[in-house]
Amino acid sequence: MIEVRDLTYEYPATRALEDVSLSVPGGTITALVGPNGAGKTTLLRCLAALEPPYSGTVAIDGLDTGANPREIHARLGYLPDFYGLYDDLTVRRCLTYAARAHAIAPSLAPPAVEKAARRVGLLDRLESKAGELSRGLRQRLAIAQAIVHEPKVLLLDEPAAGLDPQARRDLSTLLVSLRDAGMTLVVSSHILAELEDYCSEMIIIDKGRVAGGKPIKVKEVERVRYAIELATARADLGEFLHGEGIDVLEADDRHASIVFTPNAAARAKLVRDLVGAGFELASFGAEGRSLEEAYFAEVGKEAS
Amino acid sequence: MNPEFLRNLWLELSPRRVLLMTVLLGLAIFAAAISGGRDYLPAAVAESLYYFIVVIWGARNAALSVVGEIRDRTWDLQRLSALGAGEMTWGKLAGSTIYNWYGGALCLAVVLVYGFAKRGPAATFIDLIYYLTIGVIAQAGAMLASLIAVRRRQRHTRFEIFLYQLAGFVAALVAFWVWEMADPAGSIITHRPPTDFIVWWGQSFDARPFLLVSLALFGAWILVGCYREMRRELKMRNGPLVWLGFLVFMGLYVAGFDAWLSRDAQMAQWSVGTLRLLLAASMYATLTYIMVLLEPKDRVLYRWLGSQLGHGRIVAFFANFQAWMMSYLAAAAVTLGLILWVGRHESSPAEAQAVIAAGLGFLTRDVGIFVLYHAFASRRRGDFGVLAILFALYVLLPEIAKGLGLSSDLTIFFPQPTTPIWLGPAVAWGEALVIFALAFTRVALVSVPQRTRALPA
Repeated sequence: MIEVRDLTYEYPATRALEDVSLSVPGGTITALVGPNGAGKTTLLRCLAALEPPYSGTVAIDGLDTGANPREIHARLGYLPDFYGLYDDLTVRRCLTYAARAHAIAPSLAPPAVEKAARRVGLLDRLESKAGELSRGLRQRLAIAQAIVHEPKVLLLDEPAAGLDPQARRDLSTLLVSLRDAGMTLVVSSHILAELEDYCSEMIIIDKGRVAGGKPIKVKEVERVRYAIELATARADLGEFLHGEGIDVLEADDRHASIVFTPNAAARAKLVRDLVGAGFELASFGAEGRSLEEAYFAEVGKEAS
Repeated sequence: MNPEFLRNLWLELSPRRVLLMTVLLGLAIFAAAISGGRDYLPAAVAESLYYFIVVIWGARNAALSVVGEIRDRTWDLQRLSALGAGEMTWGKLAGSTIYNWYGGALCLAVVLVYGFAKRGPAATFIDLIYYLTIGVIAQAGAMLASLIAVRRRQRHTRFEIFLYQLAGFVAALVAFWVWEMADPAGSIITHRPPTDFIVWWGQSFDARPFLLVSLALFGAWILVGCYREMRRELKMRNGPLVWLGFLVFMGLYVAGFDAWLSRDAQMAQWSVGTLRLLLAASMYATLTYIMVLLEPKDRVLYRWLGSQLGHGRIVAFFANFQAWMMSYLAAAAVTLGLILWVGRHESSPAEAQAVIAAGLGFLTRDVGIFVLYHAFASRRRGDFGVLAILFALYVLLPEIAKGLGLSSDLTIFFPQPTTPIWLGPAVAWGEALVIFALAFTRVALVSVPQRTRALPA
């Protein structure tokens, strides 16, 4: 759905992106992460055909951003990191304007408005003025404006910034529902923990490049790392695991972190073998912060 | 209905605001009518209110139509829409000023009814066209100024917004002044007899229709400018043809006023062709200075143009020329034509040819200074530094040189006759070459990003 080839973008004093190549398949949620100033927002704006590349190409749904910017604008939904709303208009009028501006016929605009409002949970606020909404509801309205025309691709720049935990959870649910409806989403975020809830791929941007050269499959990362904890210390824990042919990331006499197959039967056998060898197993489970570790692994690799 | 126009209607034309405007204007004109003054007083008050509401206030609203969206962070939402550049332009221009036009229409009704009773339908119709044109020129001029400014920077202070409004106001003032030359009523204010005829390309034209058509044409060009800048904001490609068309129009329009130069005794000695080429070259040089001042001097674009040229992509190279570059090429071409023409049609032409060639050299040097300055300065800096340099080169340093008794060395500051004749052009072009060599070297340097690493949350 999104193809970027050798994208380079320059500001007068700096090169913000350099030879970025990536591919985002349709119907997925891809996270864009990286340090401040890494080039995430610039990349999103290039994807949105708001900034022309210095060199390289960006294609959205087969259309080149340089040759067909307006066609791409019409097909995209984009929520910038800092956005505004028409505070003096009601939610209904804000959404009606967004729908009409995306070439939805006047007769089809009201149902499109109601559908978008229902998706983001604003159906009961249609007659409220945008300026009267809370921050979380304003975020929902901004997303509703971006999706009212059912875009194929939705780009969100730091959509969870400033939201409370409940609003973040609602946002995750909404993004998953949009993906399930067939949209392709690219989400820039600093909050790695929440990305695990809904992202299928993570692209790390560092110093204007894709760290590691390719996206990281989030679900693979989540499922291959497991933590083992013993109730009683055993100095030979690491040696035993190595002997079983397991990829041990780190181990001491009480803990081990391993890369292992997500197959349930294989995991059950490993637990049986550990217990059979006399290890007092206190816990065995997937490691919770795998995405963050993957992030630092890639960024650390780039730094060294 | 155009969605952008509709959105502006929602915001601007609330029943309360409409009622307020109607009542206030009604009271003002009623007060003028019962004040016991002359019978034209209500029309005069209505005319003043029209200028204030449509020209001054309307120019501010037009200037804010895009800058306000950027300030309120809604511009990206608008840009990522299916609206075409034309729809967006007229939706914003007419929509953001619809409240002003409503008030203006009320005022205009009073003015035109009075004019109809006093001067008949033909004069009233011409007045109607004039009032509409000056309103459009003011508002479109302000919008164009703001759109050009948006290319240079995204954040705009209130003072800068005032400057965009001022640009529209000045455009309207020029239109007013031009129209007043031929307006019998205007001559009452200035105590000058109105101009009845205008000589253009050797033909005599009735002044009022000529000036009205001229104003309408310039108004149309301003609207075309708004449309083109809007296309650029929507990331659509603007080719060079429209600006080239504008250059041809301006060259032909200005060259037709040779009769005005002929009033000068010294100029009268020159042939008509020389005067016309001189006018066109001067216009192109002026446009070069205006556009190099207004347009962003973007190092990235210059590097990109260089890479296109290096790869032999000539079409892409010329298609992305900035307006000042095309204006400069037009100025250079017409100046060369002028030098050749002077050589064939004027007596003792060498000195004039040398001064003209030096003039082109200094123009080249000056645009080079703009490019070089921005190749060093950060993007956010304005052009006041360049203007200060030019002020020093053309005013301060020559005065100092004169004070030191170095009048013979003024050749290095501006074009003037020299002995030997070739010295003036040689000095000017020498300076231009040095400046452009420095600018080229600086622009060609590609900087490498240096970032500090920050951790995610």
